[in-house]
Amino acid sequence: MANEVQPLNLHTKSWSVKIILAIFSILMLILVVGPLVWLAVHAFATEWKFPSYKPTGLTLEWFRKVFEVQALKEAMKSSFIISPIVVLVSAVICLPAAYASARYNYWGRRTFLIMMFSANAFPKIGLFATIATLYYFLNLMGTIVGVIIVQVLGTIIYMTWIPAAAFASVPKNLEEAARDAGASKFRVFRTITLRMAMPGILVAMVMSFIYAFDEAQGTFLVGAPNIYTMPTAMYAIVETYPIQVTAVFSILLTIPSVLLIGLARKHIIGGQLAEGFQIK
Amino acid sequence: MSTATTNQVAKESFGSKDSKLSVLGFFMALPPILVLGTFIGLPIGLAFFLSLGYTGGLNEVISIIGQDVRARDGKLFTLQAYQDVIKDPRFLGDLRTTLLVSLFATILVLFFSIGIGLIQRLRGGKLSSLLTALSLTPLFIPVVISAWALYTFYGGAGLYQTLLKSFGFDVPQITSTVVAIVIGSVWTSLPFAILMITSGFQSIPNALIEAAQDAGAGIVTIIRTVMLPLAFIPIVIVATFTSIGVMGSFTIPFFLGPNQPTMFGVEITNFFTAYNRPQQSIVMAFIVFLAASGIAVMYIWANFRSAKESGRV
Amino acid sequence: MSQQNEIGLELKGLSKVLGGRVIIDNLDLQVKKGEMVSLLGPSGCGKTTTLRMIAGFLIPDNGTVTLAGKDVTTIGPEKRPSAMVFQNYALWPHMTVFKNVAYPLKVRKVNKAEIEKRVHDVLGVVNLMHHKDSRPAQISGGEQQRVALARALVQEPDILLLDEPLSNLDAKLRVKVREDIRDLQRRLGITTVIVTHDQDEALSISDRIAVMKEGKIEQFSTPEDIYNKPATEYVANFIGSLNRYEGSYSNGQISTGSDVVGVRPEDVTFDSKNSAGAVEATVSLVVPRGHFHEVYLKAQ
Ligand SMILES: Nc1ncnc2c1ncn2[C@@H]1O[C@H](COP(=O)(O)OP(=O)(O)OP(=O)(O)O)[C@@H](O)[C@H]1O
Ligand SMILES: [Mg+2]
Repeated sequence: MANEVQPLNLHTKSWSVKIILAIFSILMLILVVGPLVWLAVHAFATEWKFPSYKPTGLTLEWFRKVFEVQALKEAMKSSFIISPIVVLVSAVICLPAAYASARYNYWGRRTFLIMMFSANAFPKIGLFATIATLYYFLNLMGTIVGVIIVQVLGTIIYMTWIPAAAFASVPKNLEEAARDAGASKFRVFRTITLRMAMPGILVAMVMSFIYAFDEAQGTFLVGAPNIYTMPTAMYAIVETYPIQVTAVFSILLTIPSVLLIGLARKHIIGGQLAEGFQIK
Repeated sequence: MSTATTNQVAKESFGSKDSKLSVLGFFMALPPILVLGTFIGLPIGLAFFLSLGYTGGLNEVISIIGQDVRARDGKLFTLQAYQDVIKDPRFLGDLRTTLLVSLFATILVLFFSIGIGLIQRLRGGKLSSLLTALSLTPLFIPVVISAWALYTFYGGAGLYQTLLKSFGFDVPQITSTVVAIVIGSVWTSLPFAILMITSGFQSIPNALIEAAQDAGAGIVTIIRTVMLPLAFIPIVIVATFTSIGVMGSFTIPFFLGPNQPTMFGVEITNFFTAYNRPQQSIVMAFIVFLAASGIAVMYIWANFRSAKESGRV
Repeated sequence: MSQQNEIGLELKGLSKVLGGRVIIDNLDLQVKKGEMVSLLGPSGCGKTTTLRMIAGFLIPDNGTVTLAGKDVTTIGPEKRPSAMVFQNYALWPHMTVFKNVAYPLKVRKVNKAEIEKRVHDVLGVVNLMHHKDSRPAQISGGEQQRVALARALVQEPDILLLDEPLSNLDAKLRVKVREDIRDLQRRLGITTVIVTHDQDEALSISDRIAVMKEGKIEQFSTPEDIYNKPATEYVANFIGSLNRYEGSYSNGQISTGSDVVGVRPEDVTFDSKNSAGAVEATVSLVVPRGHFHEVYLKAQ
């Protein structure tokens, strides 16, 4: 849909407009990229004295240092174990529901969708505070299962809404044509419906992974002090380690998101995400 | 795509659901609702009763561990905990900070995302692609990192101060102020807003814009009477999700904001962990939830209104 | 008609390159005031592109566009005295029928009472008063088409531009609506350019037809001329069916030669094989077409 759009002839190709846009872009560039580059460069700095534009010297020492700290290594390990599990659990719970709300009319359909949204409207931090009561009772405080559940809660909205929109956009007559051609119900689902909804499911998985990988508040309240993931470890290290270590850690923490979003970039920008956030 | 076909698609995707109620569909849709019910609905329910002074049952452990827990003592309920919070001298400051930060961040996010969306839709070209790509960058960055990067950038030894100093300005730093919270909130909310709004503008067919041009409308009129109304739903979604998200945020105000007064997200955490006053922290959560629900109602109303308009209902 | 020789629209030396290809190539066209002209041609020949340059959505690389005596080549569509009916109608889904039609007047800051009156008038003309508060999604394709027409007419444009306005309608409605359009156009005397790739449509409603081929006008003449005196073989083939002979024609006879002779099927008569110029043939196929039959013959 978005690809067909042609530029319009709006007669606004004047210089003043161009200059204003250029200034706006440069400002955006500084405001967005500035902080990231500023932090990233610190990862390679021996020392940095205010108010200097450059560090005293360059080094790779800090990278080695990060991998020497046992706690940080642990945090990386648990992050990379927990996040994929969260995505899988969430997919198993949510994808059938996504298909159902796209294809079936069932009792309470609207109510379900609105409940899901309301769950998202309750402030996360308040929710994590209230969840403690239940966690104490179920003995989930400080356990991996507890952390996984807390992270799954935040992914449900992505995993249900985005694939639901993707399933809904598969034209029914394509399925009927395949049925007509003699394919079984399951085969049609696998080869037509699932195939065509795949970009949406992929976007949902990527968003869920990133959410789980970045989730800090709930993980901290539920997991600490037994379990630290990379983001919750970050809370601790900004207070105890020099800025260079935090810079290195930040770079490491950013890599998975960059890779994954790069992978699904086309679909995310192509509107799969946006489609998912409209109640139908 | 033409209007005729978009309307048709909308109609079909709605009509394609079997009109009879499906039992299978109900059971397929159940798991996420059960999970949300158990781990969000139930705790919120328990918390609600705790906030009213019900300290028994599942609330017993937390009532014993926590300090200053107000019990209803045989009455139907007590609002003592609410009074504690509201009478606390910090409350008004926190409330103001939370509401103002959410308001300003939402306005700024709408301004930037609608602006960039319009530039991309109406002008196209390399510049607009660059702008879009830039505003999507924070999507790649975990919030903790963003907060920390912003802190180091605007903080005492950051580039912001370095630059100003080398030009001879000696300005007060903006970290640990609400300004920094607003900057950070805009930063984290912008990617979602840009995705929603650009996709909203992109799905307006060229012909609808050109028809307005042909009817004699200038660019400002076209934006006001055709583009903004047609992107109404994405705009409402952005406004609601941004304000709700900012209102309940913790990481950004924690890293970038002042100690006092601060946003409820930070205060809730402080009361829960540092001060060990869970009942008061829960009361605050409900106050934020109340505000968020008001906004959520707007979102739901907007969605149903648009469904009606396009003939889907 | 007194306006017979005034010029309503003039295109001079129009050229446009799109996507690295020459789409319109040095095109000239002169439309008289009050005249209805069809742009007819196969898909992709540049009809829409030409129309968009007249309307102002595209700026030509070369050449000029003159509307009602005024050079508008570089003026934006919002300032041109033309109104367009889009291929898919382009009605705004968030406005009612009334608001859609009122929009051009509102934009021009016409006062409320007059807007009310003019919109009602024009909705009456297209027979849609009963739908004035409906939304576009709630009315049929033919009705949407009439709303689009009303929205163009309400502007009282000097030039009316229609881009395949009937292509989304079923065959029967199509004939009815095209007659309605022609009727209205005659009554209001609006200079009109209509794009179509339907030869029946072009032949039945236009004063003159411009047959296009690859960005050029191949022939520009009355429907009778286009049909009976096609300037090129391309035009002859594009309009109606044709029996093609290689040879030369004189006094009702086709004799061997190096030219090409075309004979319209309805000009073929059946006769005995001895008459002059007769060609002996056998019937190879008969296709019933309702009130007539199509008979395919094979020459021996
Ligand atoms: N923006 C563009 N960029 C590149 N090529 C274009 C563009 N717009 C049109 N074209 C090409 O110009 C040619 C003529 O297009 P145009 O839309 O004028 O055809 P048309 O005669 O209206 O055809 P149809 O009957 O199918 O509507 C086509 O080959 C088309 O691919
Ligand atoms: Mg065309």
